[in-house]
Order: sequence, then C-alpha cells, then structure tokens
Amino acid sequence: MIEVVGLQKSFGNIVALSDISFKVAKGQIVGFLGANGAGKTTTMDILCGCIGADAGTAKIAGFEISEDPIEVKRKIGYLPDEPPLHREMQVGEFLTYAGKLHGLRGDRLTVRVADLIERLELGSNKKRLIGQLSKGYRQRVGLAQALIHDPEVLILDEPTEGLDPHQILQIREMIRGLKGHHTILFSSHILSEVESVCDQLIIVDKGKVVEQGTHNELILRLDGAREYHVRVRQGALALAEELKTDFGQLSRITVKEDEQLVSFMSKEGDEILDLVARRVLDRGYGLKELAGKSKKLEDVFFQITR
Amino acid sequence: MGAIATIANRDLKSFFVSFKGSVTFCFLLLLMGIFFRSFAATFLEIQAQTLQTGGEAPKLSQLLTAIFQNLHFILLFIVPAITMSSFAEERKTQVDRLLQTAPISSIQIVMGKFFASAGVLGLVLMASIVYPLFLFKYGNPEIGPIVTSYLGIFLLMCAQVAFGIWVSSMVSHQFLAYLFTSFGLFLLLILAWVAPNISGGGASEEFVKYLAATPHLDNFFAGLISVADLGYFFAFIGLFLFFTNVAVDAKRWS
Repeated sequence: MIEVVGLQKSFGNIVALSDISFKVAKGQIVGFLGANGAGKTTTMDILCGCIGADAGTAKIAGFEISEDPIEVKRKIGYLPDEPPLHREMQVGEFLTYAGKLHGLRGDRLTVRVADLIERLELGSNKKRLIGQLSKGYRQRVGLAQALIHDPEVLILDEPTEGLDPHQILQIREMIRGLKGHHTILFSSHILSEVESVCDQLIIVDKGKVVEQGTHNELILRLDGAREYHVRVRQGALALAEELKTDFGQLSRITVKEDEQLVSFMSKEGDEILDLVARRVLDRGYGLKELAGKSKKLEDVFFQITR
Repeated sequence: MGAIATIANRDLKSFFVSFKGSVTFCFLLLLMGIFFRSFAATFLEIQAQTLQTGGEAPKLSQLLTAIFQNLHFILLFIVPAITMSSFAEERKTQVDRLLQTAPISSIQIVMGKFFASAGVLGLVLMASIVYPLFLFKYGNPEIGPIVTSYLGIFLLMCAQVAFGIWVSSMVSHQFLAYLFTSFGLFLLLILAWVAPNISGGGASEEFVKYLAATPHLDNFFAGLISVADLGYFFAFIGLFLFFTNVAVDAKRWS
C-alpha cells in the first residue's frame, strides 16, 4: 500500500533524509520510530505531498506522489504533529469544511460528519469552537479531519504528543480500532506506545531506515548481543574482572557491587550461561541468580541507533 | 469550482468572525460615508454658487473622482489588513497543511483566497451603495458614472488583493505582509506622479504611467468603460495570481 524507495531530502546544508526505503502492506499499523530529528516528520510530509523530495519515489496505492499528487491525496488522511485546525470554527462546521475540501457533498457529507462525531465521541463538543477545546479533544478533531474522506492510508505524526496519560490511552484505543480498515503509518518516539499499537516497526536514524520488521523479528535479528545478569553471594567485583580477562566473547561487563550483580552482553547465545555458571561455582562465588534479560524494544532501539 | 467556493466561503466567514475583520469592514464603510458626505456637501455648495454667479457647474464625474481617489488612498491601509493573513498566518500556525493535503490544486487554493479577500471588499462596496442612493433622494444624478465608478474601484480593489495575497504567499509573518503590501500599493499609486522623474521621458514615461493604477480609473469615474482599462486590471490581477500560484507551488515542492 505504501512503497518508498531511496527518499532523500535536504534543507540547505542540512541533510534531513539520506536514504529512506520501506514498504507497508495493506491493513497494517506500522510504527515509524526514531529519535527527535531522525526524519520522521519530513518523510511523512513528503508522503502527504506537503513538501517535495530531492530524490527517490514514494507510491501510495500505486500512485507516485510527484506524478499524481491529487490522486495520492484522495487516498491519504494526515494528522500532523500539530493538527491543522481553524480555531475560530465549530467542530461540526470544521469537519464539514474538511469534507468539502475532499469533494464530499450532500447526504454523504452529513452522514460522514455525524458518524465521525459519534465514533470519536465529539457529540457534546459539536457546537463548541475548536479553540476552546482541550488538547485531547483537539487531537480527536484532527483525527476526524484525517478520516473524513475514509482514506485507505492514514498517516499519524506523533498523535499522542502533549496529551495526558488518560488521553493517550484513549487516542491509542481509537487508533487500534481503525486497524484493518485503514493502513496506518504511525510515528512516535515513545517506544512503549509503538510496541503496544503497531504490527510492524520501521526504525529511522539520521535520515535512514536502519531496521524494519515485526517486534519479534527485530529482537531475534539483534538477539546476537543479548544481555545477561549473574547475581552471586560474594566477590562480584572479582568475578567481573575474571569475566573480562578470561571470556573474550563477552562485552559491556558492568558490576553493581552493593547488589553483587554482574551484567554482560554476549553474542554466543544461552550456552554462555553454562560457562559462566561453572566459573561461579568453581571459584566459590556462590550462585544466587543467573538469567538472560528479556529484550525489549528499548534495547533494540538503543542498539540500532547507538 | 467547488473547492474554490469552499475555501472562499470559509475565509470570508472567518474574516467576519474576527474582531479585526469587523473593525476593518466598519472603518472602511465609515470612511466612505465621511467622504460621500463631505464631498457631496462641497459639490452642492459649488453648484449653488455657480447658479448664482454663473460659470461652469461641477460635474458628477468630478465628485466621483474626488470620493474614489481619496478612497484609493485609504485602501493602501485597508487592503493589506485583509490580505495579510491569506497565506502567512496559516503557514505560521501550520493550518496550511489542511489545504496542502487536500486533493485540490494550488490554483484552486489561490483563487479561493483571492475571492475571499475580494469578497470582503465587494461586500463593503455593496453596503456603501446606500451613500449614492442619497444623491438620488436630493437630486437627479446620472446613474452611468456611478455604476462605472463602482466597477472601477472594485477592479482596483481586486488588483490590490491579487498583489496582497502574492506578498502574503511570499512571507511567513502577516505583519511583514502588511508592510510590504502597503508599500507596494503606495508605489503603484504614485507611479503616475513620479513617472517624469524616474523615466527618461517619451515612450518610457508613458510606459511607467501605464503601469500606474490611477490613470486607468479616470475613464471609469467619467462614466466610460474602455477595453484598455479593463485589460490593464485583468492583466494585473492575472499576473499576480499567477505569481501567487508559482509561490504556493514552489513552497509546496521546495
């Protein structure tokens, strides 16, 4: 549904995107993950036709954005990080305006506006001015605006940014509810959010796509450097020194002396636990705990973008 | 056409929702009323004098010229206030993405913005029709020059709006848009007067004079509609709408 190949974009001397390529299949919710300034918003702006790319192609439902911008815009609903709302308009009036811009008229428009107001629970605020709404409700109006023409592709740029925890949960629930009917590209720098909402992840760093896959695929792919903990009854410091000198395959060995805890990274797989356990027992450190840390998205993200 | 009307309608309503819009509308209407009142009084005074002393009576076109040329000067401050937010404000608040991501072309956006601002000024002119109606109550003026004067001043307003939205599409702050538009419109106003000083005389002076808006209004105030004057205003409007479209497109694909 979305196919991006070799997208590049510079603003003056600043390179925003150096090589963005990815594919998103129909009906998926895909997380677009990256630190601030990684190139998420620039990529989304290009996909939506707000700005042009210096090089590369971006196709939405088979239409190339620079060749068929109007057709692409019919297929896309976009909620930028700052929702584009006219604050002096009432909620219902604004959604009607947004619908008309997308060519909806008559009963079809009335029904669509009423449906979105109900689905996004905006009924009590229908007659209120957008400028008087809380940020959470403004975000809902922004989402309704993006959905007004029932687009095949929905692009959401950090939709929960600046909301309180309750509002964040509500917006996430709404996005989950859109799954299946829409293909959703969802950007965020909040890892737990992407993990909880998305089927697939695209990780961008310094204007490049550095990884793409499901959460499990990414973890498996990067599991070569899994983190382990060993807790002993005594001599954690000495054990750490021994591991450093005798076990060349280990890296990032750290020790918390007060907890008698040694942590290390290994690419050898779980077999390393046998060797470490044997060493702990042979030297009489006293084994209390030995475990491989379950890898989280945070670990993948930091490992990739380090 | 649907998208143009949608944009124009929204912007027009939005203008009157704002305090700035209502004040601008009332201020312009009030000033037009003052001009009508004072120039009509002077006109009647001179007319009465010529009846007593003989001599040439003042013409209606002279009254209309006095009213609308003064209005032209006021428009230098009013039109920029109306056009300054067309693009600059939306770009600053990023509301422009609503139009950028809608399946509409740049020219539809530009035309929508143009009709909105021209519509505001058109409504002021419509409301001001009440002033010349008073002339009919107290006298029997020719209707032709009044209608053509209104047409002329509306074309001037449209030309000024086209210039104003072009400036607004080029800058990112509406205050800058206001300043540059006022300055540009002022140059356009004085071009005919300074033409001898800035050109080498002859054909170049005539050309500079042709570029100025003021000489093209004289025929309208005299009750004449010439193709040359219509051509000037339509060309001016078309050229600056084209420039605006280029600027909007360039910003979109930059």
